[in-house]
Amino acid sequence: MKSTQYSDKVLDHFKNPRNVGEIEDADGIGQVGNPVCGDLMWIYIKVGKNDEGEEIIDDIKFKTFGCGSAVSTSSMITEMAKGMTLDEAYKISRQDVADELNGLPPIKMHCSNLAADALQAAIDNYRLGTNPEVEIVTSCQLGVRVILGIEKYFGKGAYDAVPVDLEELREKRVLIVDSGDESLELALELTNYTGRVIVVTSAKSIPGNVEIRKKLKHSEVKLLQESELIEIKGELDEVEKVVIHDNDEDENYELFVDVVIVMDYRG
Amino acid sequence: MSIYLDNQAAKPVDDRVISEMMLYFNEKFANPASLHCDGDVATDILEKSREKIANFVNASNSSDILFTSGATESNNLGIIGAAMRQKNKGNHIIISEIEHISILNIGKYLEKEGFRVSRLAVDRFGGIRLDKLEKLITDETILISISTASNEVGTLQPTAEISKIAQEKGVLFHTDAVSSESVIPIDVQEVPIDLITLSSNDIYGPRGVGALYLKKGVRVNPIIIGGGQERGMRSGSENVPGIVGFAKAAEIAKEEMPKESEKLKILRDKLIKNVLDTIPKSYLNGHPEKRLPHNAHFRFDYIEGESLILTLKEHNIAAATGSACSSKTLEPSHTLIAMGLLHEEAHGSLLVSLGRTTRESDIDHLLEVLPDQVKRLRKLSPLTPSDLLKKYEEVK
Repeated sequence: MKSTQYSDKVLDHFKNPRNVGEIEDADGIGQVGNPVCGDLMWIYIKVGKNDEGEEIIDDIKFKTFGCGSAVSTSSMITEMAKGMTLDEAYKISRQDVADELNGLPPIKMHCSNLAADALQAAIDNYRLGTNPEVEIVTSCQLGVRVILGIEKYFGKGAYDAVPVDLEELREKRVLIVDSGDESLELALELTNYTGRVIVVTSAKSIPGNVEIRKKLKHSEVKLLQESELIEIKGELDEVEKVVIHDNDEDENYELFVDVVIVMDYRG
Repeated sequence: MSIYLDNQAAKPVDDRVISEMMLYFNEKFANPASLHCDGDVATDILEKSREKIANFVNASNSSDILFTSGATESNNLGIIGAAMRQKNKGNHIIISEIEHISILNIGKYLEKEGFRVSRLAVDRFGGIRLDKLEKLITDETILISISTASNEVGTLQPTAEISKIAQEKGVLFHTDAVSSESVIPIDVQEVPIDLITLSSNDIYGPRGVGALYLKKGVRVNPIIIGGGQERGMRSGSENVPGIVGFAKAAEIAKEEMPKESEKLKILRDKLIKNVLDTIPKSYLNGHPEKRLPHNAHFRFDYIEGESLILTLKEHNIAAATGSACSSKTLEPSHTLIAMGLLHEEAHGSLLVSLGRTTRESDIDHLLEVLPDQVKRLRKLSPLTPSDLLKKYEEVK
């Protein structure tokens, strides 16, 4: 079965998704997935009471980044859950959502069928009463951790200071480790030389002082937040790729780059 | 019938090719190996077809062409066959990070067979690093296999320079020319290459036929054993109707390529310019100039490619994506990753490949539909920043 062989009902929900959007004064918010994997889902709920005094889902909305089935399952579950008591809604399973949509391609059952998890997360968020807002932490000035292999790449794509001639970096893929405002200014400057500048920062939001933050937001610098550079790799001792640790997901992934700049690297 | 913009996946067979083939299914159907007159007729057309394919790559001897069942087989025969043949000379093979999946998997297979396989890095446009290629070559290196162009992002590789390096170092050079053969001429007199993979369908011939060009003096060990057809290097009774179609397609392609490529390039440039101008946070993947005339490969932030393909499908447009969600392995395109894209960036890609049947109105239709559909999916996506959403609201 092809990954896009969807039932008519899945396609209907994809084309005309129900309950898209956000609820500004939501009582519960659930977020699941990870854009790295290709799916990210937010579900917002507003809780009310029915005639028996039980808590029910008065209103529900969603936002989703993902493939056809990710959109359809989000839309489907909002229709199913609206008006249900919280206890009932909490019991909706991935299989229930898939069944209601007349089935999903097998390959999609696990990867893009996260709506039930998102709804449960939203109900948990409401019941535990925690603030759904993501906490914002300012720039990382924590210094740089040990980066495996970096010493042997100095002079071969790795720099521990601002390169003397930025022209050398023209159209290179440059990765800069955030070690304060100077490193961020270098990142902004480098966008005049290459279309690919990546900043790795352990901060949860855009790092830097007010002015730098503003510039970064409107620049083509790619920010990897809540992340750390942990290893440099390459054949012939030239920088070819890096291993990034995503602190939020607690997982490592590789990224192809040509140049790594870690200012004042002290190991 | 939808507006077909997926020509790098499959191309329609040209009507002129189909009419040329018909005779060889039921009238002149004999086996070229047979000694009777009907067999002679088949041999005659087989050899004439071989000449046409040789002419297509400007080879001086028609015996330089071996017919196969298609590009995947030609890659297998060219790479595995040459590696096995050269085994006593060395065990090192160089491919690139962004080869077609058939070549990447051949690399893995040869590693299991005891060969060492290096995967040459590419730059951010998908072009191979020539400086690294030279450094990777050792005394043990027996074969380099780099495609003429990326079958995904369309970046052209410096085939002439690779050929020069390979010649200087005495290493065989194989290239998979499938993604460029319909739009960029191959001339083995001008750029000597040892082995070239060709496909019939990619020049609007029938599927199930291909060829391997072998420079004079280069031989490969067979991977299909049988009656010793194709100079003993590829057994099996020849697919005469398919080969006749392939040869006709090559004849047409050679004749019409300059004009056709120019037309495709104009349409492609119009598409690229308009998409980048009208859709915020859209990017072109691959090299801006050194790219296939019929390839446009885009990346749109905040949305996912399979969703986009489904949406275009609703609007009767057929295109492709490098998103993981559309693949069997659920992995995003290895080419985009090797170019340095993050996984979430690779998910938002769209491959539009034009072809002989593409009209300007097709591109206009896509340009009408695409910005709105990208906008629709972005409005759904939690990744879309609020200032972009606001901008969309204002336009409305």
